Amino acid sequence: MADTYSGATADEGDRGSGGLVDDTTLKWLGVGLSSLFALAVLALVVYIITTQVDFALMRTVLPQFVSAYLLVLQIVVIGGVLSVTAGVFVGLARVSKTSITNGIATAYVQFFRGTPLLFQIFVIYFGIPTLWPGTFPVQNWGFPTAIIALTLNHAAYVGEAVRGGIDAVPDGQMEAARSLGMGYIQGMREVVVPQAWRNALAAIGNDQVILVKDTSLLTIIAIPELMQQFRSVNSATFDAWTPLVLVAIAYLSITLPLMRLVSYLEDRSDWGGDSQ
Amino acid sequence: MNPLLEFDEVNKYFGETHVLKDVSLDIEDQDVTVVVGPSGSGKSTLLRCANRLEEIQGGEIRLDGESISDPKADINVLRQRIGMVFQSFNLFPHKTALENVTLAPRKVRGLDDDVAEARGEELLDRVGLSAQLNSYPNQLSGGQQQRVAIARALAMDPKVMLFDEVTSALDPELVGEVLEVMRTLADEGMTMMVVTHEMGFAREVGDRIVLMSDGRIVETGEPKQFFESPETDRGKRFLSKIL
Repeated sequence: MADTYSGATADEGDRGSGGLVDDTTLKWLGVGLSSLFALAVLALVVYIITTQVDFALMRTVLPQFVSAYLLVLQIVVIGGVLSVTAGVFVGLARVSKTSITNGIATAYVQFFRGTPLLFQIFVIYFGIPTLWPGTFPVQNWGFPTAIIALTLNHAAYVGEAVRGGIDAVPDGQMEAARSLGMGYIQGMREVVVPQAWRNALAAIGNDQVILVKDTSLLTIIAIPELMQQFRSVNSATFDAWTPLVLVAIAYLSITLPLMRLVSYLEDRSDWGGDSQ
Repeated sequence: MNPLLEFDEVNKYFGETHVLKDVSLDIEDQDVTVVVGPSGSGKSTLLRCANRLEEIQGGEIRLDGESISDPKADINVLRQRIGMVFQSFNLFPHKTALENVTLAPRKVRGLDDDVAEARGEELLDRVGLSAQLNSYPNQLSGGQQQRVAIARALAMDPKVMLFDEVTSALDPELVGEVLEVMRTLADEGMTMMVVTHEMGFAREVGDRIVLMSDGRIVETGEPKQFFESPETDRGKRFLSKIL
């Protein structure tokens, strides 16, 4: 269905009716403005790389950025898998007709969506250990804090995406499954959730990209992640752009492939072409 | 012998609305019972109660003497004996035609994949779709989708098939192929309860016509007698509107 109007893009000589400009003018206006913008950005980037970036410094600090990158990747993979898995269950609980399950899931989602992630990190990092004054058993609490906070926070967002995905599956699907003798859980697993997953994929992918970027908040609790490397290099050398460029490359090298992966998964579950 | 499917003084409410009022109906083995009536008369609701997609508030529904409406009944087992075909097909869009047909036999019956597939291919062949085994629902026409849905219901070897306005969502030129499959099924001796607006089909294939109005059964009769000389005024008025 997405292609239905593709034939209606502005062709040469296609005059729009009404409005301030006709379609052809608008099209070239768009091309002009976006080209101008791209050129300006390109010029800025070239200027920064040629005049601001210290490549000798970059080589010196590269190892610490690589280890920070690997740490972020580790947090993203563990936090991603855990938050998506937990989020599916949160979503299922959110559509439960049992009021206790539903109520607890709703309260969970409201709390974690209703407070800042930074607050949640502080609760876990500073708050939890004080419940065992002087005897808190975990030595390096930073890494566990990162995983727990990101998982709990993003499970709430993934849960909402999954709930939306389930709501979008027509009631007739479950009825058809039940009428064939499947139980509720079986119908959910075999029929509703696979379709809900497809419906929710874009929103889940979006959330996981945000999860990658949320790791930057962990600099506040001194996790040696990417922003932490920026701060250490910047305070030692007063060079801003060299570490900033490294930070940008590091984040984009995670987020861009992740976005591609989500598009690939969406295409793969197209079930025989043009979707309904 | 007992009727295969019995509705015994069935009452059903949607909130305050009384949609089925003391409905009693026996469906005999191998009979085709066609339920007709104006929209809102409760005929689809009656059908949906027969496999407990809707709960009833009074009376009892029995299959082979076993209660369907009893809260303690194992509905997942009973539903396997009752095939249902929907107006909107409700095929599983993420599964191919063959997978749609084999899903329940594999997951509910626990049949081996090759056994389920052989049976699935046979059923799809019976509804004339042996060339579309690996097509996804959105690659099929409405008529083809509805025939897959019939094959899917038949895969559980039901004792009775329920058809809920199965041609109402189809383009007119696709109605015939679905009715043809249903006619063949009736000829082979399948017990069927059919809610439809296709009066030609009702007359030709039905063993008995049931007219519903306002949540009650107002007339039952053999097709010839019902269509040529209805006994009740309600029957006469219904026929005068549709014929």
